[in-house]
Amino acid sequence: MLQRRTFLLTTAAGLAAPAVLRAQGSPYVVGTLFPMSGPNAEYGMLFTNAVQLAFEHIKADGMLKRPIDLRAQDSLATPQGGAVGMQKLASVDGASYVMLGFTGVSKAAAPIGTRSKVMMVNGGGVGPDLAGLSPYFWNVIPLVNQEVKALLPWLRQKSLKRIALIYVDDPLGNSVLEQLRKGLPEAGGELADTYSVPPTAQQFAAVAAKVRSVNADAVYFASYGAQQSQIIKQLRDNGIKQQLLTYSAGSIPSVLSLPESEGLVYTSQAADWSSAQDPVTQRFVKDWRAKHNSDPSIYHQNYYNAMRLFALLAQELEKAGTPVNGENLLATLLKVRHFTFVGGEGTFQDNGTLELPMQINQIHDGRAQKIA
Amino acid sequence: MIAYLTNLATLATIFGILAASLNLLIGYAGIFSIAHAVFFGLGAYAGAQLAMLLVPDLLLACLAGGLVAGALSLCLALPALRVRGEYFVAASLGLQMMAVTVFSEAHAFTGGHGGLVGIPLASLLGFDISAPPTFLVVCLVVLALVLVVIRVLMRGSFGRSLMAIRDSESAAEAFGKNVARLKTLAVVLGCAMAGVAGVLFAFYMAFVNVESFTLEQSILVMAMVIIGGTATLIGPLVGVLLLLLLPAGLSFLPFIPPTEIGSVQQLIYGLAMALLMIFRPAGLAGRSAGQR
Repeated sequence: MLQRRTFLLTTAAGLAAPAVLRAQGSPYVVGTLFPMSGPNAEYGMLFTNAVQLAFEHIKADGMLKRPIDLRAQDSLATPQGGAVGMQKLASVDGASYVMLGFTGVSKAAAPIGTRSKVMMVNGGGVGPDLAGLSPYFWNVIPLVNQEVKALLPWLRQKSLKRIALIYVDDPLGNSVLEQLRKGLPEAGGELADTYSVPPTAQQFAAVAAKVRSVNADAVYFASYGAQQSQIIKQLRDNGIKQQLLTYSAGSIPSVLSLPESEGLVYTSQAADWSSAQDPVTQRFVKDWRAKHNSDPSIYHQNYYNAMRLFALLAQELEKAGTPVNGENLLATLLKVRHFTFVGGEGTFQDNGTLELPMQINQIHDGRAQKIA
Repeated sequence: MIAYLTNLATLATIFGILAASLNLLIGYAGIFSIAHAVFFGLGAYAGAQLAMLLVPDLLLACLAGGLVAGALSLCLALPALRVRGEYFVAASLGLQMMAVTVFSEAHAFTGGHGGLVGIPLASLLGFDISAPPTFLVVCLVVLALVLVVIRVLMRGSFGRSLMAIRDSESAAEAFGKNVARLKTLAVVLGCAMAGVAGVLFAFYMAFVNVESFTLEQSILVMAMVIIGGTATLIGPLVGVLLLLLLPAGLSFLPFIPPTEIGSVQQLIYGLAMALLMIFRPAGLAGRSAGQR
């Protein structure tokens, strides 16, 4: 009897051994769900380059015992593309952690990721409706209302009291409107006038004419994508000489390289590349400049942080000897909350957003400089 | 893997209903609409609102979605009665553009650009049908019903009259056909079916916003019908399988680097479409004009 039991145990152990060994050495699957084709492919490329730099750093530092297998899916920046891509990453590739961007994609992917217990991290969309989307959905980026709050003291200091607002009619734009409407009177200012534009609009000459007639001290615009550059150019072409203001979308290369962007002020999380003291930021900036021959943008910072977040969480789980899966990654994030990121120390809030130090930047000669 | 295949099969079934409904307009009635995503969207929003405000019953939602899309299809039927060919394409383009603006601005009905989030799980006569395999079966049943209705109608006098109008409107009129009534009926029927597809889409995605009902979506559905083969029952389904599954299949190619995945996929995809149209101009399952 004993012999038979021993034989069965030995056989079972022998059969299970290859699977156990395979499991020990199998890589952690991490997914990206970015637009890699179509009009928003520029963003997908920005995000992926940042993820790859973090991936190289994690590998070089030997942060994890197992390798990371990076799987990419093209979201096409559409909800349908997001749903299909998320389903493939979750159920075919077996990803436990997925980085994604764009509000429509995030909202379509979130139920699928939640059902499959995949941790999802956004570093691109800043609309307030991305807060609290799902327990598994987190943002490594302060949302736009936090950015507007950070700008108000600077407006007061510069005596910019009457602000005209051009905003895209969606949750992002409406959040900026609400925050300015509430915050400006408290900061001794007022909302001179507001102009709502559809997300697909490309012609702003009529809006510019109205803005001119209001004669505000500054013009804030809340939009994204190609619309940002169009608004700046058309406002300047139509004789608007006042200070232009926006949020972190002002950091994309197409805005920075636009001659009309000279003097534009935008808010962002702490990203002072010239005087950063912490080693994480210094290394990120140094290696980025060496690899891409340019300064990194806010989006690069966010997605570098998103990839770094996975490594930090997985490292904690490895130390504890716990499997690296979506559930455990989430539990570790909720336990630790506070991480060292590019740009400074960040703390995750209960609503799924990250609280990071903020700064105000101004564009000079195609480069962003911290001014406050 | 099974969950992924179920997901693809469900989307393919929903788009199968949508393509079959557009085939009724393009293939049988000769109405080249590039505003079909509008009616898909109307159904989706109507179904989602009913589910969120009253009850998430799929049958009631399909009725509501079909009715709303069918009733508002008169916006498409009116220009279809006056113009045809490229003039109608321009008219439907106007409708599509107008609808996208309305979907973005009508916050109370559509949630604006942010869309409607948190659509409840679907039920059918009190039974939970939200599990992906169950929902797929329900979608397949709806697709089968739609195909049966189209087949029965197209084999009868209504279908023959429609095809007569498609081939020569003046000849059909000379033979005593009521062109206005027949065209209006075809548009209402096709758009109501698109509305039903929209309801299924809304329940399946649990989220809808305007990005799913744009001109690009209308063109994609039209491409499904044309590439598969117009005026055939199976053609639109073949087109759906090709246009939905080819990009999904290409994502399995292991040698594409992450930064190039989109452009390489689009190149292969575009080349395959161009070659297909060169060698099978009537569509994969299509018949040449003389065989119709």
